[in-house]
Amino acid sequence: MSGARILVVEDNPLNLKLVRDVLGAAGYDVVSATTGEEGLREAAELPPDLVLMDLQLPGIDGAETMRRLREGPLAEHVPVVAVTASAMPEDQANATRAGFDGYLEKPISVRALVGEVEAFLQGGRR
Amino acid sequence: MVEEHETTRMRVDATSEHVGPVAPDGLEQALRDAREQSLASREILQALGRERGSEQILDTIVDRARRLCHADVAQLYLLEGDAFRLSRITGEAPEEFRRYAPAHPLRPSRDTLLGRVALDRSTQQIDDVLADPEYGRPDLQRLAGFRTLLSAPMLLGDEVVGVLSMWRTQVDPFSEQDMSLLDEFAAQAAIALRQVDLMQSLEARSTELASKVEQLEALREVSDAVSSSLDPDAVLNSIVSNAVRLTGTDGGSIMEYDERTDAFVVRAAHGSGQELLDRLRDITIRRDATLVGRAATERRPLEVPDLSQVALDPHLDALYRDGWRSVLAIPMLRGDLIIGVVVIRRRTVGSFDEDMVELLQTLATQSLVAIVNARLFRELETKSAELEVASRHKSEFLASMSHELRTPLNAVIGFSEVLIDRMFGELNERQDEYVHDIWNSGRHLLELLNEILDLSKVEAGQMVLEPSTFRVEQALEYVVSMVRERAAKHGIAVSVGIGDEVDTLEADELRFKQVLLNLLSNAVKFTPDGGSVQVRAERVGDELVVTVSDTGVGVPPEDRERIFESFQQGGRGVAREEGTGLGLTLTRRIIELFDGRLWLESEVGVGSTFGFAVPLRARDTAGTESGAPDSTGQTILLVDDDRASLDLMAAYLEGAGLRLERATDGVAALRLTRELRPAALVLDIRLPGLDGWQILDRLREDPETADIPTIVASVVDDRARGLALGAAAYLRKPVSREALLAALSGVGVGVREVGPRERA
Repeated sequence: MSGARILVVEDNPLNLKLVRDVLGAAGYDVVSATTGEEGLREAAELPPDLVLMDLQLPGIDGAETMRRLREGPLAEHVPVVAVTASAMPEDQANATRAGFDGYLEKPISVRALVGEVEAFLQGGRR
Repeated sequence: MVEEHETTRMRVDATSEHVGPVAPDGLEQALRDAREQSLASREILQALGRERGSEQILDTIVDRARRLCHADVAQLYLLEGDAFRLSRITGEAPEEFRRYAPAHPLRPSRDTLLGRVALDRSTQQIDDVLADPEYGRPDLQRLAGFRTLLSAPMLLGDEVVGVLSMWRTQVDPFSEQDMSLLDEFAAQAAIALRQVDLMQSLEARSTELASKVEQLEALREVSDAVSSSLDPDAVLNSIVSNAVRLTGTDGGSIMEYDERTDAFVVRAAHGSGQELLDRLRDITIRRDATLVGRAATERRPLEVPDLSQVALDPHLDALYRDGWRSVLAIPMLRGDLIIGVVVIRRRTVGSFDEDMVELLQTLATQSLVAIVNARLFRELETKSAELEVASRHKSEFLASMSHELRTPLNAVIGFSEVLIDRMFGELNERQDEYVHDIWNSGRHLLELLNEILDLSKVEAGQMVLEPSTFRVEQALEYVVSMVRERAAKHGIAVSVGIGDEVDTLEADELRFKQVLLNLLSNAVKFTPDGGSVQVRAERVGDELVVTVSDTGVGVPPEDRERIFESFQQGGRGVAREEGTGLGLTLTRRIIELFDGRLWLESEVGVGSTFGFAVPLRARDTAGTESGAPDSTGQTILLVDDDRASLDLMAAYLEGAGLRLERATDGVAALRLTRELRPAALVLDIRLPGLDGWQILDRLREDPETADIPTIVASVVDDRARGLALGAAAYLRKPVSREALLAALSGVGVGVREVGPRERA
């Protein structure tokens, strides 16, 4: 699904750059946002095929952003995947409980990232 | 200038360093003995009480002697010390003599008849006192007016204990018969006297014993309170009220010394009004300016028998104004430390006797123990609270550190991977080498971070094992494959040997692999190029024993314990790569969680063998042991659309004494869960209608079903997702009976155990 549009919401500029560059090199159309609000605006402007969302965001957090995406701009079938640096299992459980369609733990494996993104794009929502 | 009578008798040593409550055994024995003695003496007194007239017998004897011998006066003298004092007199004796004689005891000498009788131990007579040239007490003769005197000694054994004597005012000598009669009466009087003595000493002894019993009982009460109560005020109050009661005084207090202010504070009081208490708490009882302080500083009891006669310090002044007149202060000392002072007071003036001081010193020792115990307890409570806060801070710190470190690590590792994978073009050799160094360092930091988190979880008791049954051989091969590349790079041969009897292990598979990987990568790390590493797994009894041997540098004996401690590495020469320093610590902790053992055999220059043994079957989690043995009747809901699978699991569970309900689709599963509220759910993932994931989700969302444990049993391999959705355990099909029952007992469902041998 090369050419698919992926929205990456991540407040850390280096990590954002990493994901953007890797996915960009793999041929995806990457749109980035550094806050939840920005992410909502981007999604409204041009609906993505997949959203990668950092959980800890300034302002409205990842879970809330995801909820608002689901209410508004996002198409029913578009998966939203949580990305977090937390190693605590309860946080992972919370993410899944909050309604994310998948979960990626930092540090992200660059080699695996493209494969995982592709799987989410193919698999759609769980 | 304060004048005190100083009491220095210290038979009970309250200043001893060996402070402790009176040994309960010793106290009990003393109490038993005292009770027995007290009882015996009371019995004797009762027996004698039938002849309670001993005193009257003496009166009767004297009176009868006078009448039978027709004397004008008869009298009885008793020995007191070395003189004879008039005890009884009967007949017509002049009033002056009756007054004079008892106050002037007679020493035995030859100038009186009494003296001669006492010295000669024989009955004698003076026919006419006025005609006796040896008689030397004309003053007595004039006072009494006697002329003829007859006296008989009262003999007990060889000792003259008294003299029975009579006189006539006319010269009229007594007959032989009178003399022998008086002899007889004197003998009887001696016996009666002995009885009186006996009675008196018995009565005294009995009173003494009764008070001793009371003291010992009070001491035991205090001792019990000291050793059983953690409420120091209750103990101190009991001590001070007992002290006051036992000493027959009117009031008292226990003061604790406060080192910070160098003063004493009232901790407990008895017999004091609220006003006095308030006053005592108001004033500062300084160590250097009070009686209490002096008793403590000079390390001995001090008393003031009359407060009106001394200069008053603030404490004594408060007491005096409140109507107290005498005070005794007993210090409580522990080695060099001043702990406090026990104060006893009376509303009357007077000294405090020795027994009282002794008793109070015992009580002071008890108070000391109570206060010291209470201080330790307070300290412990504070420390525990501090520890709890510190531990919470530590957990929060670790969680946040983990997040803060992972974020930049993500960039470090990620960008190095981008470069290593030549995503944006070629690198030269040196660039490639450096990027690998960056990547390795990043991975190393990440590993360290994970191990710190794991270790803190173990230490906080938060590491939860997820036992499942897996094949040992597969796990071993998997772990070996992870180090094979690095080993090959250094020409190290890695071999695996698995015993024939080794099949499956029931344990947390991830943690088992973690332990094995740690030991194996250590072995590869510290084995010189061209060496070898061997992994062996064997079944020994009910245990799986795994050893990892290398031909490395070995661990010298002095380091063999140390290397299991955090951040300690053996002195292994030039390390090719830094370890985290936490691996072995974590490994040991995990094996402890497995109920297993970890050991090390090593010879410097030859190599090392790390070995561990773990039970083949995971220990049953709490609930099966402590749970009700009669667990039948607990209902399990089985959710599966495959009939064969349902039947098999049903057979397992019914065999374990459980009641079953079945559902073959998601909607029915949700309905039955709400209706039946089963003890647990066993859930398949691939189901018609709602699938297992959705069921898990909905169960969690509904507060009514959220706490019902769910065990996933499925061919779908997504353990992480299942657990994240709240599943209590995740089992891959085909599910063994053991794994299913273990998972159920893990969530508190009591299963009827069938022993492993029985199954074999």
